[in-house]
Amino acid sequence: MITFENIDVVYPNGFKGLSNVNLQIDKGEFVAIVGLSGAGKSTLIRTVNGLVPFTSGTLKVGDEVVDPRSKAKLRRLRSRVGMIFQSFNLVTRVSVLNNVLVGRSAETPTWRSLLGWYRAEDKELAFKSLERVGIVDKAYMRASSLSGGQQQRVAIARVLAQDPEVILADEPVASLDPPTAHKVMRDLRRIQQELGITTIVNMHHLDLARSYADRIIGMRAGEVVFDGPVEEATDAVIEEVYQRSLTAEDIVAGDAAAESSAAGDAAARDSATEGAVTERSVPAAKAQD
Amino acid sequence: MSTRKINAGPGSASRPESRPESSPEPRFAPDALDRRPVRPSRLGYNAGMLVVGILFIAAIYGTGMDVRALLDLPASIIQYGRLMASGVFQIPDETVAGYWSQSFDAMFESVAIAWVGTMVGALFSLPLGFMAARNMSPLPIYVVVRFVLSVIRAVPEIIFAIAIMLPLFGFGSGGGGALAGAMALGVSSIGTLSKLISEAIEAVDGGPLESSRASGSNHLQLIRWAVLPQVMPEVIAIWLYRFEVNIRASAILGVLGAGGIGSLLSTVFGARDWDRIGIVLVVIILVTMVVDQISAFIRHRVIHGARIRNGGGAPQEDDDDGGAPTPGPVSGASVEDDPAPKSTRAAAGL
Repeated sequence: MITFENIDVVYPNGFKGLSNVNLQIDKGEFVAIVGLSGAGKSTLIRTVNGLVPFTSGTLKVGDEVVDPRSKAKLRRLRSRVGMIFQSFNLVTRVSVLNNVLVGRSAETPTWRSLLGWYRAEDKELAFKSLERVGIVDKAYMRASSLSGGQQQRVAIARVLAQDPEVILADEPVASLDPPTAHKVMRDLRRIQQELGITTIVNMHHLDLARSYADRIIGMRAGEVVFDGPVEEATDAVIEEVYQRSLTAEDIVAGDAAAESSAAGDAAARDSATEGAVTERSVPAAKAQD
Repeated sequence: MSTRKINAGPGSASRPESRPESSPEPRFAPDALDRRPVRPSRLGYNAGMLVVGILFIAAIYGTGMDVRALLDLPASIIQYGRLMASGVFQIPDETVAGYWSQSFDAMFESVAIAWVGTMVGALFSLPLGFMAARNMSPLPIYVVVRFVLSVIRAVPEIIFAIAIMLPLFGFGSGGGGALAGAMALGVSSIGTLSKLISEAIEAVDGGPLESSRASGSNHLQLIRWAVLPQVMPEVIAIWLYRFEVNIRASAILGVLGAGGIGSLLSTVFGARDWDRIGIVLVVIILVTMVVDQISAFIRHRVIHGARIRNGGGAPQEDDDDGGAPTPGPVSGASVEDDPAPKSTRAAAGL
């Protein structure tokens, strides 16, 4: 269970990332966070594992109170909270297996890490994680030789190797084409259901959020403006969150891979540019304040 | 918009064939010339060129260079060239063969000095590079290491050799002089190598760092698995390039008494033994070029090797590996997927 109590995040440059966020996310829930670029989705997700330190309030993951100032505590927390990213963030020059084994870092003595001499049970866990996402055959290939969807699944395997209680996913499918996006979302959903891992996903695409999540949290300007089950997140509600009417950009093309590939490509390009815009507009938003 | 058309180009209005005969209005509005931009002043540029020229001439007269000696240049080139060529191109009898092998031995000593110096530099430059990288080390360490490195860089290796290493280890070919040369090269290599490596480290992609941090890695684990794999090819290329530089430097250090080809060169120069000088020079150029080529080849392989392997050899793998090879050329973009057959999807548990 994750509890946010009056969480504020003020960045060093004075930009207010989150203001007075109160949330309670139960164990095993699949939560999608929606909102426009710069609404604070990434900030919210990153406060959970301390990548962005919150400046006031109380944050609890399980029974443990998150303390952004203690490095040792943060490392311990991060070993229980896995995270996947929009740009996969794999080390592309090393093998898939070594990327997954990075997930074992917190449990591995430093000297073993430095020599790359992982324990047999850690390797076994890494292989099991790769099997769970269906790419164990790529274990010894360089990560750079994999396609985007495969790389994201390696990232999921890395998170699974941590044996986490919580998975955070920051726009996990924003740089993938629609069929792959659905595939990765299905993987996440299946893992959440099989292993009972609490999963929090930032989303750009409303239809993906609706079809895979249990619960949707809407954010605007650093505040939670909607929080409810998927059924309640009607178009009208989301338009209220976005403060604009919904457009074709808010949905990803359908699941069926057989659908006209041209349309799919276009949507993929759209989502890719959209993702790029997100990345760039966040500092821009900060600068404005 | 209309003014743009009028300003289409210099002289366009005066060219009758370009004027459409049907249009009644003149293409050249009376006030068009006023709207053209004024040519920007080139005063600063011209003054700059003038200063450069004045400094050049002043430097020549200030140092008392006799420029007329340049007129004799072709003649002396031919004269000394002939002297040296007579040494290089003579049929090698026993003595001359001895000169050649002596030159090669000395040159290989120089290369060995350069190699040892580079290794010493490489050994220290990697940790120092991390300490001098702003994204990897705390501010106090960063400032101190940066300062020490810039001091090292400010001292030329010749000074290291004359002032520190040669008095410490002794002069002469073989033994003390060689060690002194290697240490001088090593220390001065540390300065530049660490700087370049720290810059490579500062330029790494932050994504893997963030993901590594997010999985609970400590600083050393992060360096080992997120930073080193990214910078290692560049670091190796930097080391090899420094080796190439050190070969030339070690030849110069030899002249000062650090052993190797430089010692031999200063001996034969002292005797004005022009045919032997020719042999030594040919050996220096030959060996340096060969080592440069090998080193450049390895550097190229280290940096670009992976890309060639991926682009040519192994095409991007098909998702889920359904068995059907991807037809057609492989797209460069990393976002690609396939409509995998339902059966394989089920097998993969999707």
